[in-house]
Amino acid sequence: MKTVLFDAHVALGGKIVPFAGYELPVQYKNGALKEYTAVREGEAGIFDITHMGQVRVEGREALAFLQYVTTNDVSMLMDGQVQYSALLNEQGTFIDDITTYKINNQAYYLCINAANRHKDVAHLQAESANFDVNVTDDSDETTLLALQGEKAKAALQTLVGFDLDNIGYYKFARGKIGSAGGIVSRTGYTGEDGFEIYIPNSSAVEVWNELLKQGAVPIGLAARDMLRTEMGYALYGHEISDEVTPVEAKLMWITKLDKGDFIGKAAVAVRKASGAKKRLIAIKLVERGIPREHYKVFVDGIESGEVTSGMHSPMAGGVALAYVQPEHATQGDITIEIRGKAVAAERTTLPFVRSNVKK
Amino acid sequence: MSIPADLKYTKEHEWVRIEGDIATFGVSDHAQEALGDIVFVELPEIGRSVEAAEAYAVVESVKAVSDIYAPVAGEIIAVNEVLEGEPEKVNTEPYGAGWIAKVKMTSGSDELMSDHEYTTFLEE
Repeated sequence: MKTVLFDAHVALGGKIVPFAGYELPVQYKNGALKEYTAVREGEAGIFDITHMGQVRVEGREALAFLQYVTTNDVSMLMDGQVQYSALLNEQGTFIDDITTYKINNQAYYLCINAANRHKDVAHLQAESANFDVNVTDDSDETTLLALQGEKAKAALQTLVGFDLDNIGYYKFARGKIGSAGGIVSRTGYTGEDGFEIYIPNSSAVEVWNELLKQGAVPIGLAARDMLRTEMGYALYGHEISDEVTPVEAKLMWITKLDKGDFIGKAAVAVRKASGAKKRLIAIKLVERGIPREHYKVFVDGIESGEVTSGMHSPMAGGVALAYVQPEHATQGDITIEIRGKAVAAERTTLPFVRSNVKK
Repeated sequence: MSIPADLKYTKEHEWVRIEGDIATFGVSDHAQEALGDIVFVELPEIGRSVEAAEAYAVVESVKAVSDIYAPVAGEIIAVNEVLEGEPEKVNTEPYGAGWIAKVKMTSGSDELMSDHEYTTFLEE
């Protein structure tokens, strides 16, 4: 599927690849490294992330419904606030990770992963039968842009009818964006200050072009993944999947076992008591090399797990997220097998490079 | 797209410069363009013997890991250690400072293309 910005990507020299059912640019003509640098070093990068899905949840029991289907405590959300959360199955493993936007007690907006969209919507609609609530998939009508980096605020301010300084981290506002309406949230997936912008498809080209005119640099999927991995942010299909619970994925901070019943709660409580089956750790190579997804991780010479996301960070070198056996999470000498050779690594803390989000 | 006339090329988009029995290897402008930003080069060990079409080095771009194949057979006598610190030279100067290795040739190859043949090959 093409987003409404497909022709704009091609015109900018975008190298188009299939991604979660969409045709999206992996990079533009100047390459992923320059795009990465633009976002990290003082510019504003613009990303077409229309592949992400949007679901409206509306009705008298919207809050009760979301308390039951998501892991985080939705009752803690204020109007105009965003919350990172997850959808679990009864086994306590991930259907998806999501963000929940609260408009009011009877109206919420969920942002979901492209690859999980149909599965998520089917799950939410099935569970909604027991609640006075409507679940509507808005994905095909909505364009989602991310604008990230130090100059994001100045670039976006020129075309919105409200003061962006009033939108704090993980807050959002609704109002005029270009010639139509939309939602702007102070969220992102890069570790830089910035925004995610939800607009109708009809105004996508206009807003995209206007932001380019303000100096925003178009960013493809490759640089997006570099920026996300450097922050250690989980990505569905890599760090999280239907094979791990929040206990393994270090996401108990969005899983509120004390909030009342929710899908997966019982299974997560059992796993928490019995202990994680494996643990997610952050690794930095101390020798030359690039750790990549699925490379094997050894601890004291014993195969212990594998890399879930890995990269060459221009600032931090070879870095990776990896699952290892629980007993290896904090001790033992780590090596990563790269083309048959054991390359020395060490545990480190996240993020791999400094975050500049304005919390 | 640059395709110097004094080099020979392979279907795997490597180039070779043959001077007497010494051959210098690298990847073509087309190859570096297709690979994207190169962030790591794994060089072969000096003294290693390589066959024609054998993988002798690895280059890694932001997203991909790619084997690089020897255009002709020989013994590795030099490697471009500059690439360990500046792998981007493969992108910026594929036919110059981005060379990868030199071999003492043990045999030639009938598979090599001239610049004209390679240009035609790229167009097909």
